[in-house]
Amino acid sequence: MTGGDRGRSRAVLGGGARGAHGPARRLDGLLTDVARGDEHAYEAVYDLASGWVLGAARKVLRDPAMAEEVMQEVMLEVWRRASRFDPALGSGTAWVMTLAHRRAVDRVRSERSHADRELRAATAVIDYDDVTEAVEASLERERVRRCLASLTPLQRECVSLAYYGGYTYAEVAGLLGVPAGTVKTRMRDGLIRLRDCLGYRGCNDDIGRP
Amino acid sequence: MTSDGPDLHTLVGAYVLDAVSADERARFSAHLAGCSACRAEIGELREAAASLGTAQAVRPRPEVREAAIKAARVTGQLAPVLSRNDLTTSRRGQASGSRAIRWVAAAAAAIAVAGGVAAGTHYADMRGQQSRPVPGTVSDVMLARDAVMRSAPVRTGGMAIVVASQRKHMAVFIAHGLRALPRTRRYELWLMGPRGERPAGLLTVSAGGMAGPAVISGVSAGDMVGLTIEPASGSLKPTSAPVVMIDGQGR
Repeated sequence: MTGGDRGRSRAVLGGGARGAHGPARRLDGLLTDVARGDEHAYEAVYDLASGWVLGAARKVLRDPAMAEEVMQEVMLEVWRRASRFDPALGSGTAWVMTLAHRRAVDRVRSERSHADRELRAATAVIDYDDVTEAVEASLERERVRRCLASLTPLQRECVSLAYYGGYTYAEVAGLLGVPAGTVKTRMRDGLIRLRDCLGYRGCNDDIGRP
Repeated sequence: MTSDGPDLHTLVGAYVLDAVSADERARFSAHLAGCSACRAEIGELREAAASLGTAQAVRPRPEVREAAIKAARVTGQLAPVLSRNDLTTSRRGQASGSRAIRWVAAAAAAIAVAGGVAAGTHYADMRGQQSRPVPGTVSDVMLARDAVMRSAPVRTGGMAIVVASQRKHMAVFIAHGLRALPRTRRYELWLMGPRGERPAGLLTVSAGGMAGPAVISGVSAGDMVGLTIEPASGSLKPTSAPVVMIDGQGR
């Protein structure tokens, strides 16, 4: 860990399996408080999660100003929809990041529909090793990089183009020259492999039980 | 196993990665509601996907933090969703009643919007004609201090909900999941009591089996709100046994 900003680093360090997204474990409890209108809890959620949300938005949107806009929108949604967080369905981190990624993707697609065909192709290059904007090299970043490396090249391409590029499976199929059915399967297999490598298998065993 | 077939399951990975069209997202979301195996898989895969994002964390500009806190302060929050269990028993008293009513009001609004009905409510009279009651009638009942809610399963499928205000002698009827009827038949509402049965309107059922809100007035003690299936033009008296009956005063 670099000297830099130890106070902040807690917010970017990840963890292991579910409920152990590191210090983010307390996010679940904070979200329950936020659902009751607790503004102090919301400030804590903002401090904990805004960096993750911004990071994801930056990868998808590229443009820092747009990414910041999306981050603010997502954090406001977290406030608005906190009552919809159900700890039985997954971690608070997953809930926040689901909101974040969906919104970032919706925004980039809306931007893309106005953009040049060539420009779209140019932005298709994804470098998941890009560290230029990182706060610092974190354990979480290393774990994810290592686990992504354990995927087959096609699985990694499909997952990366989807998550960091915001492309639909149909668009990924077009970009890679691979059948749509294959892309769908690789996306699922790639995520499953990531899940197992990162240690999330069996973390939600109670889901679906009445 | 669902009727959606194996095709929809292949979307699991793409769905978690948001790599689907808006239409596919909606279809898969709907599928999820009835597939616990999918929900379990989605949950775990979402944790993995979340890590793809959190690993890229970037520190936001400190300047924007204040704006975010301020925005929250002036923004309302969604009320909690009540579970099905919360709806099956009649509730008295303001605290739990008002929670239930917020849910039902939201459901009614959703039904109204889904059915293409604007702010007010529509109900059909005996001749199947839509007439728009005085605006605010539904909320008059929903927000009445003595409002209580009862729900019951409809024998032929779906769920019926009645929100009643004894003081106002009014009830609001909402249903969802109703079985689609052939064009020769219509659902008809009745007020059934000691003085006999009186027609309370023909229901218009939208896609998804949703009907209402229908406002019923003149409800007295002992009246039940009943639903039967009648010929399309409606009947003066029920011609078959009710498929659901709920106390018109929420008892």
